[in-house]
Amino acid sequence: MTWSDVGTISPVVIAVLVAAAILVVDMAVPGRRTPIIATALGGLGVVGAVVLIQAGHTGTAFGGAYSLDNLTVFLDALFVAIAALTILFAVDYLEPRGLPIAEFAAVLVFAVTGAMLVAGSTDLVLLFVSLELMVLPGYMLAGFARNDPYSTEGAIKYFLLGSFSSAILLFGLAYVWGMTGTTRVDGVATALATAVAHGSIQPGLAMGLAFMTAGVAFKMAAVPFHYWTPDAYQGSPTPVTAYLSVGPKVGAFAIALRLFVGALGPLKADWLPVIIVLAAATMTLGNLVAITQDNVKRMLAYSSIAHTGYILVGLAAYAGGQQTGLSAILFYGAAYTFMNMGAFAVVTALQRRPGVSSQIATFAGLGRRDPWLGALMTLFLLSLTGIPPLAGFWAKAYVILAAIQAGGWLSALAVLAMVNAAAAAFYYLRVVVYMYMREPVGEAAPSSPGRLFRAGLGVTGVVTLIFGLFPALVTAATNAAAVFHG
Amino acid sequence: MSLPILSLITLTPLVGAAVLVAVPSRRPDLIRRTALAFALLAWVMSLLLLAAYAFGPTGFRYVEAADWIPTFGIQYKVGVDGLSILMVVLTTTLSWISILASFGPIKDRVKGYMISFLVLEVGMIGVFIALDLFLFYIFWEIVLVPMYLIIGIWGGANRIYATMKFVLYTLVGSLLMLVAILATAYAYQGGHGGSWVGAFDFQALQGYAAAGHFADDLQILAFLALFLAFAIKVPMFPFHTWLPDAHTEAPTAGSVILAGVLLKLGAYGLIRFAVPLYPYAAHTFAWPIIVLSVIAIVYGAIVSIVQPDLKRLVAYSSVSHMGFVTLGIFVFNATAFQGAVLQMINHGLITGGLFLLVGVIYERTHDRTISKMGGVAAVMPVYATIFGFFILASAGLPGLSGFVGEFLVFVGSFGVAPAIAFASIIVMVLAATYLLWMFQRVAFGPLSDFLAGLGSHLTDINRTELFTLLPLAVLIVVLGLFPSLVLDLLRAPAQAFLTAAAAARG
Repeated sequence: MTWSDVGTISPVVIAVLVAAAILVVDMAVPGRRTPIIATALGGLGVVGAVVLIQAGHTGTAFGGAYSLDNLTVFLDALFVAIAALTILFAVDYLEPRGLPIAEFAAVLVFAVTGAMLVAGSTDLVLLFVSLELMVLPGYMLAGFARNDPYSTEGAIKYFLLGSFSSAILLFGLAYVWGMTGTTRVDGVATALATAVAHGSIQPGLAMGLAFMTAGVAFKMAAVPFHYWTPDAYQGSPTPVTAYLSVGPKVGAFAIALRLFVGALGPLKADWLPVIIVLAAATMTLGNLVAITQDNVKRMLAYSSIAHTGYILVGLAAYAGGQQTGLSAILFYGAAYTFMNMGAFAVVTALQRRPGVSSQIATFAGLGRRDPWLGALMTLFLLSLTGIPPLAGFWAKAYVILAAIQAGGWLSALAVLAMVNAAAAAFYYLRVVVYMYMREPVGEAAPSSPGRLFRAGLGVTGVVTLIFGLFPALVTAATNAAAVFHG
Repeated sequence: MSLPILSLITLTPLVGAAVLVAVPSRRPDLIRRTALAFALLAWVMSLLLLAAYAFGPTGFRYVEAADWIPTFGIQYKVGVDGLSILMVVLTTTLSWISILASFGPIKDRVKGYMISFLVLEVGMIGVFIALDLFLFYIFWEIVLVPMYLIIGIWGGANRIYATMKFVLYTLVGSLLMLVAILATAYAYQGGHGGSWVGAFDFQALQGYAAAGHFADDLQILAFLALFLAFAIKVPMFPFHTWLPDAHTEAPTAGSVILAGVLLKLGAYGLIRFAVPLYPYAAHTFAWPIIVLSVIAIVYGAIVSIVQPDLKRLVAYSSVSHMGFVTLGIFVFNATAFQGAVLQMINHGLITGGLFLLVGVIYERTHDRTISKMGGVAAVMPVYATIFGFFILASAGLPGLSGFVGEFLVFVGSFGVAPAIAFASIIVMVLAATYLLWMFQRVAFGPLSDFLAGLGSHLTDINRTELFTLLPLAVLIVVLGLFPSLVLDLLRAPAQAFLTAAAAARG
């Protein structure tokens, strides 16, 4: 390890220090929330600044195991934003329930550290280790409300299935290592390119590919590996759900980019059909089941499955020969992050008082009770539906465009995606129906979220709008980030 | 650089909506007047633009273009020709009339209502002036959201069902249209060495289409997608089932805009985009579409006869009247084309007026059941007179504008298929039947027990209501006597449309 290695991974190093600092501050001044939040947000601000300083630079660390490129910078920035927003949203939820903020923030920053390492991993072993570093704190967060049986149940399901899928992924990675003799992503790609050039791929490699696909599909909650998602999302404390729905998901797509695009790129003709089937099944089933949900958290869980399907269309477009598919994935990931966190944040605001359920009836009359909250929720839901000029619209448009460019079966996939998007409008707009077209039942719970919370909500709302009105700003970054291998 | 007049017209209602956000909700009168002021401002500007356009050369004018997403050649590009300027004026006219007509009926959440209406106006104007396919699509979708809210929040008892049906029908069509637009642009890009410049530019695409460069199978698929989107909006038989529900549940002004402008968006899309971009496919499917149009004309009229509800009757008559529009478009000749566009305008004025009139009686009775009415003429003589006027206009009385449009479509389609023209003429009789019979049951005879029970509540039409109806009546008479005011403006667009459509045969 040299100093230049440390420089290359400096955002990760600083993030670890921030997480540690939060715990130290908690010990130094116990029971005070302001210093903890200040440490967490200030520290994340520093991490974000360092990430932005790295923008445009490239380099490798640890003999090629970690690589700093535009993709790393883009994803790191996204993860930092996710962590900061989660903290902004969490305080209002944790405090009334007597849950410790310091532990929450520290565990969250550790998780994000793992995600940032995933983003830069170009070695199979490092990729797996950093993946575990990302998901293990996630299990803790899911069970954070330890007196709530649902939270515990969700956490256990998440943990068991998550560990299982990690093992499957590791098994696949081992096969690939065995067949290619290297754990470096570029080494694997070279070996595979040679193997493909010399004819058929060996059965062992096919096994490895199958296990890896299953493992990654688990992590990104693609059908039929999605069963953990609804329970984990519904049971977790709502701010945690907001995090889980975007953080580990973007992380899983980071793995997909490093692994499938980087290492397995030469085999893309072989995994393309699998991704097409996964994408079609994921968006269709996710949407169909979401339609029947009466609990908004569960509905958003299924909707997040459906969005995985749309993002997979971008991956399929890449495999179909379109580089634009990659930047579409990144755009989708970023747009989805902000609009989905915003939607979960509104649910969090409604649940500020302990005991308020996330049933759709809770939303009845929200447009009258709290016009701003209602308007913002409408904005996020319309964006999730894909109505222009909002972030979610461009996300879909870019993915669809990439699929159309790839042609063939992917054109059919594009049509299926759009039919799905129309069906999805039903359940998203159903919430709007409750907010604006039905009268509140029972006592109207005034939500009036705190200042931090409103700041976070404002950020997600503004970003959703800006992405929608000036998508070219974002595509400049995603196009740059999409060129990361070779 | 010249004045960006089109952008100013489009922005005016948006600025109005932004201003309304700042006005406190407890001052509903201020909100109403502010909304009306901005709608009137947009109207005046559009009238000036119409006058300026009419005395100048033909073709697309007042074009503004600016790069929006250069990577894909997506532009903010707007411009008007004789067709779009007429549609813009129709939109701005009906918008302020609708806002004025909402002064009385809308008492709850006035602020949200007026903001929705102004945003709706932005979207509608945008659809008619967009010269970039992507921009067009965006405005098309923007229209959806405020209408969804207007029906869903301020609508009748069954409003949630109606508004969801409206949204889902429209979305299925429009999302497939997005795929088709992207595929078209990609084909253009492929034909230009991978350059996206102009790939969404309507004029560039149309030139490319006119040269016959779009492959046949692309044309077929893309045309079907666009056709579905537009046919749902028109609505053509058998995609019309959302319309009676939406109309019945929408508040009065919502129905006026829905019939007056939203249905025209579909017909405009067919004329502007579906046919000129995919002429081969348009000719391939012309006959099935003509048949569907005739079915719509006849079916709409027959079903209207048996409707028990005033609004539902007018809604089904819309299906019939809009059938003439699609018929006029797809017989591909200049006379029928001009008739079709005139019919679009007439339908906006006449059916808009009929919905306003139904709204007037609903305000007083809170009922729309025809069988409960009777003898209205005795207690509301002014109202009954105006009602009668609009009924006759809708039935196609010569001298009023409704006659001219349908007549031109007959004449135009007669040369193509006499049988179809004859079938359509029979509908004139049916139209007279359902309209006059309905009018007779509502206006004449002894005062019904239901109406008598309302006593002094049953006042004649008031001044505000009169103000909303008179402009429409004047326009109906003027266009009936001097249809050339509109037809002259349409000569060049008709020629452009037919040239573009003829590219398939070349």
